[in-house]
Formats: sequence, C-alpha cells, structure tokens
Amino acid sequence: MFNTINPKSAMPIYRQIIEQIRRAVAAGQLLPGEQLPSVRELAAQLLVNPNTISRVYRDLEWEGLIETRRGQGTYISSSAASLVDSERLQIIADQLEAAAKDVSIFGVNPETALDIFRNMLLCNSAKQERV
Amino acid sequence: MNQHDYAVVSNKLTKRFGPKEALCEVSLHIPRGAVYGLIGPNGAGKTTLLRCLLNLINPTSGTLTVLGKDLAYDAVAARKRLGHVAALQPLWEWMPVREFMAFMAGFYSHWNNAVIADFYAKTRIERRTRIRELSRGQRTLMSIAAQVAHEPDLLILDEALAGLDPMAKREVLQSVISVMHSENRTVLIADQSLNDLERICDHVGILVAGRLVLESPLEALKETLKRVRISHPAAAGIRLPVTARCIEQERDATRCIMAADDFTEVNELLGQDGSVDADYLSLEEILIYAAGADSWNCEPTAVYVEEMK
Repeated sequence: MFNTINPKSAMPIYRQIIEQIRRAVAAGQLLPGEQLPSVRELAAQLLVNPNTISRVYRDLEWEGLIETRRGQGTYISSSAASLVDSERLQIIADQLEAAAKDVSIFGVNPETALDIFRNMLLCNSAKQERV
Repeated sequence: MNQHDYAVVSNKLTKRFGPKEALCEVSLHIPRGAVYGLIGPNGAGKTTLLRCLLNLINPTSGTLTVLGKDLAYDAVAARKRLGHVAALQPLWEWMPVREFMAFMAGFYSHWNNAVIADFYAKTRIERRTRIRELSRGQRTLMSIAAQVAHEPDLLILDEALAGLDPMAKREVLQSVISVMHSENRTVLIADQSLNDLERICDHVGILVAGRLVLESPLEALKETLKRVRISHPAAAGIRLPVTARCIEQERDATRCIMAADDFTEVNELLGQDGSVDADYLSLEEILIYAAGADSWNCEPTAVYVEEMK
C-alpha cells in the first residue's frame, strides 16, 4: 500500500507519506483498528530515514488519525472514522485548487470549467450504474 | 547546541594545495544522530573534506573536532569510533570474504559478529567467495558490514551509491537504513545520487568551490526555499516581507526562486488581490541554484513585484 514514494516529486518525503496514509484512510483502504507497519518495517520498505517515519507517526497521532498502543504497535485510531468525511472533502478541495488556479491563469470562463467537471462526474456515475 | 551534541564540528577549516585553495574556511556542523548529506559538484572539495575528517591529510588552518576529539591532538581516539566506506576502494582481490572479515576484525577491540552473520544471511554470499568474484554492489555491502561491525559512532559513506544498478542500490540503501536505527549513530554521506539522499538525509551541506555555501536541516530547507509564481494585478511596489528574498529570477520578478522564513506571510500579503504559487524544489534543483554562487551570495533585500501586463 505504501510503496509509492515518488523520487521525482520535489515534495518533502515526510509530506508524501502523511498524504498517502490520509488518502488510504479516506479511501477505506486502511480501516479503524488496523495495524500499521512498525517504524523499522516502513522505513525499510519505503527506503527512507526511520526518523522521518517516526515523525509522520507522531504528527498523525497528534491529529488523532492513528494511535500508538504501548508495546503493541501503531493502529488507525477508532476515532478516525469521524475524521474520514472531512478528510475526503479536504483531499478533493486540495486537488481542485490547482485546477481552479489554472482556470484563472488561462482565462477560462468559470461556467465552462464547471461544465467540464459536471460532465466528468456524470460520466463517472453513469459508468458506476452500469457496473 | 553545545559541542557534545555534534559528531563533527569544523571551524574555518582551510586546505591549500600549493596556490590552490581546496577548502576555504569551512565551518561544518553535523549533529549527533543525523544523517548528513554532503553534496556539491565534482571538484568542490568533498573528498578533501572527508580526507581531513579521516585524518589522512592535515588541514592548512582551522580546527576539526570529530566525536568530541580535536583531530590535531587526538586523531587516533576519533579514528577508532569511525567507519568509512568508499566506492572503488582497492581491496585484496584474492581474499575470500571470510578472511577479509577476520582481517578487519583484528583492527578493532569490539566486533559484533551478528552484523556479519546478518550480512551473509541477507546477501547469500558464500563465505569462501573471493573478493574479485563479487559484483560492485556486493563489494559495497561487504564493506558496509565490515565497517559497521565494530559499531562506529560515525559512519562515512563516500560515493557508495555511485554506479550501482537499481537493485544493488536498493540493497545498499536498505543496509544503510538499518544502520541508522542505532541511536546516536551519525551517518555522513557524500554522493551524487541526490534523489536517494533526499530520502534518507535529514541534514544537508552544500560545498561549492571549496566553500560551504549552505548547511541546513533538509526539511527546513525545503520549506523555506521554493519556486514562486506571483500573479498580482496591482502596480509595482508591493514590498515583500523582510524575511523573504528573491534568490534568482527565472523570467522576471514574478517568477523566481524565493527564500522566505514563512511562505504563509508572503501568501497573506499578496493573497488578497492576487495569488502566490510556491512549489517545492528538489535537492537537485537546490544544488544547481546553490552552485550559481553569484546569485546565491546576494544580500537579503526586499524585492518589488513588477507591474503585470
């Protein structure tokens, strides 16, 4: 699940990992109560400095997304479920922000841009219905 | 931080070879427990600096303290607690790996055999294999194991990742990462594989033409140095916060590499009527800008945003 550190991306590794764990929780790939790899395992798997992983875990714990059970390991916290909805919307908003900037830079009519997005959404939901 | 919090401290370290100044007043600070990436173009003085650290050559002037020992007086004590792996190190080609390990063990009073056992188990290298039969990656892995078995407080890796295929590089990185787990062990890596350094280093020092032009925790560096694109309809004369400065203009003042203590400040200032896009720079890009020394040395001054057409 966490094997997609992008060495070409200039985004700090620390941020990339945080973002991936958030995404995985929002997408339901990581469920509340599920155990995360140990700092050692994840560092070896992603080939990153173990201190970076420690910091990621510390910060996510502070946010309440994960919890450390003494001597047992790190888990997605049971309260993560309540964070999921806002997390999902935040991720989408973050992605749309870049598109919104391009809309204004290119001078595209906002209505036209909204139409593109609306069509995409309709197209996707039509596909889902067929499935 | 006081002196004891650093694994390596140098003060105005200078090395001249005849008229050539290979190192010029280098003041290095490597915190204990850090993974420090020493980067710079070829010929910048990285190897000279490492040779000073290893006490292979004497500096012309300045002081150098390694693991709390002043190298001018107490080099042997420092050397005992130091590990050093260099790419293409000449080794005894005819020696079987087992014999090489026994030979290396003889130099140190402390030797952790578990490290060696782990090396054999992970690499599946036969103990009787001769060094000449090893691949480049296997040699590096062997050298790392031999240099880690005496459990050094400072491990120096000189171009250890150079010229390795992706699989071998992965194995070497893995072995370097497992070394980091030991608390208080400091790792100093001089290498050109900047993408890999970006993953494992928490501090970087950039050496250009013998001078240490930049030294910083990597994370802080990435958060304070960005590529910025300013869109603002207003006329010229928007003053940036005093903590922000333009390092290099890419096209005009609205597209530049900017250093700022806090980009949210810049954002707030310009955000009301315009917008600021700030993108992270890769270590490679940071090195390229740092190597353009002229623009780098510019004094911190406020820049004015030019009028947008």
